Amino acid sequence: MPETARSTAPNSEEGNLLEVRDLTVSFPTAEGRTEVVKSLDLDVPRGGAVGIVGESGSGKSMTSLAIMDLLPKGGQRSGSLRFDGTELSELGNAAMRRMRGDRIAMIFQDPLSSLNPYYTVGLQIEEAYRSHRRGVSRKEARKVAIEAMDRVRISDAARRVDHYPHQFSGGMRQRVMIAMALSMEPELLIADEPTTALDVTVQAQILDLMSELREETGVGLIMITHDLAVVSEVTEHIVVMREGCVMEKGTAEQIFSDPQHEYTQLLLDAVPRIDDEIGALRTLDAEGAQP
Amino acid sequence: MTRFLVGRTSGMLGVLFVVCLFTFVVFFVLSPDPAVQVCGKNCTPERIDQIRLNLGLDRPFLEQFTTFLTGLFVGRTYGVGEGAVQCAAPCLGYSFQTSQPVTEMLMQRLPVSATLAIGAAVLWLLAGLIAGVLSAVHEGRFLDRFLAGLTLGGMSIPNYVLALVLQFVLVVVLGWLPFPQALPIGEDPVQWFLNFLMPWVVLAVGAAATYTRLTRANVIDTLQQNYVRTARAKGLRQDLVWRRHALRPALTPIATMFGMDFANLLGGALITETVFGLNGIGKLAADSITKNDQPVIMGVTLLAAFFVIVGNMVIDLLYSVIDPRVRISA
Repeated sequence: MPETARSTAPNSEEGNLLEVRDLTVSFPTAEGRTEVVKSLDLDVPRGGAVGIVGESGSGKSMTSLAIMDLLPKGGQRSGSLRFDGTELSELGNAAMRRMRGDRIAMIFQDPLSSLNPYYTVGLQIEEAYRSHRRGVSRKEARKVAIEAMDRVRISDAARRVDHYPHQFSGGMRQRVMIAMALSMEPELLIADEPTTALDVTVQAQILDLMSELREETGVGLIMITHDLAVVSEVTEHIVVMREGCVMEKGTAEQIFSDPQHEYTQLLLDAVPRIDDEIGALRTLDAEGAQP
Repeated sequence: MTRFLVGRTSGMLGVLFVVCLFTFVVFFVLSPDPAVQVCGKNCTPERIDQIRLNLGLDRPFLEQFTTFLTGLFVGRTYGVGEGAVQCAAPCLGYSFQTSQPVTEMLMQRLPVSATLAIGAAVLWLLAGLIAGVLSAVHEGRFLDRFLAGLTLGGMSIPNYVLALVLQFVLVVVLGWLPFPQALPIGEDPVQWFLNFLMPWVVLAVGAAATYTRLTRANVIDTLQQNYVRTARAKGLRQDLVWRRHALRPALTPIATMFGMDFANLLGGALITETVFGLNGIGKLAADSITKNDQPVIMGVTLLAAFFVIVGNMVIDLLYSVIDPRVRISA
């Protein structure tokens, strides 16, 4: 396992909200099954935030979908996913469904295509709430939806709750997604590239909002991104992934000040600095991935 | 909404006007002298002149056309003096063959075509949607492949062949069904149903196959949409994910197609009506074409165009209800 070991972050094993051990995700191809995530270990402390960083194709999104049991057709996962004492990989479909949204929520990269264009945002928040809280009336659910929209700083929430996704701007749509995810007060939020589709100023607003909400609600966070600037802003722990493997993990400070793996160094170097002279972008070829 | 309606209605009237003008030019101006046809075999030049006068064929083109249009909306009078005939709106003229008013002929035939269209539409919509969704659910597995083969057959078989085969097997050999006649529903509903069953099936098979494929493709495509993933990530029950987040978006485009196909069929199912000898608009069209009965051909054409245009408008209106993105930006 090409992982630069370093006794890091998760201090006590009991304190972890999520413990992933030896997670492998594979898909069928013409040459047999291909592993896109290779025996990955990951710990998310209760209320803590972990960033998974890597280029596209590094397996970071598949890791999150594997945790949610939402892998695309053909995808298979193995390994242990322990969430708050429950082994997720042993849960049946119904139990896993109750877990999704209610205790582990997820938001996605493109907020427009992630919201159904045929329904108001209010309905889409309400239906999630109502499917987990049996016997809740539409009226109560609507109140929850308005509160949730209020909480993500959507002004005039009582009116906007009846609007359709296309009537919101990109940043506002992502706020709706966050409102939807947090309306159930989950313990863990998985954010898969939540700011990638947004422009830079809106990115900053959304990241600020996520940090604020984390403080308010104490929700644990897995932030998946290719953007080191994003993780550095929101998370305390960072996992660097490449080609399905963990290259390095540590606290944000360790990763930024003292990267152990050459690949991490390259990623850091790839972040453009305003005072830097622009040279050729350095890359790591596949053989070079070995430490 | 009012603006939307006004815009669509005026657009519709514009299209109808163009269709009128076009058919008028084709059938009255470019075809052989109508007066000669009306006159028949034993004809004198005086008689032809008289007919020209009565039909207004001696008038300039533009005047003929405006008289025709006026006839459509307020009626018109044929001939002058004692022999004058009043043709009430919507006046499409008189058949050269039977001298019956064309409007009356169309109205007599419409119930048969409508019965055919409605029955066939119910059949193909049910069959197409159910088979399409089943195919999508079983994508790549046996049922999907089986249905793919079936739809290929359904799309390939010409409906006159299917009509003749069914007729031979079910009516002649097995005697399970009566030979189709256009009965009214009132007298004997069961007999009525059995009479129309075969024409319905024949009309529905091709469309059902097309709808199956379309539904399958749409559902499979929708299931891969990000918002379906979101619905799952929210922990919605599987049936809710399907009904609300997959089926509604998948079936919306089918509404458009259905409106067009159904409207098309109201204008007559030429082949099916002819094969089964059902006296609908399609049979009327076939008969009038073989006899070059211009007013009737023109009446059929206009009626069909009218249905297609109205059908389109209804679908547009409906779309603004079923797709919120259309409603708000309209």
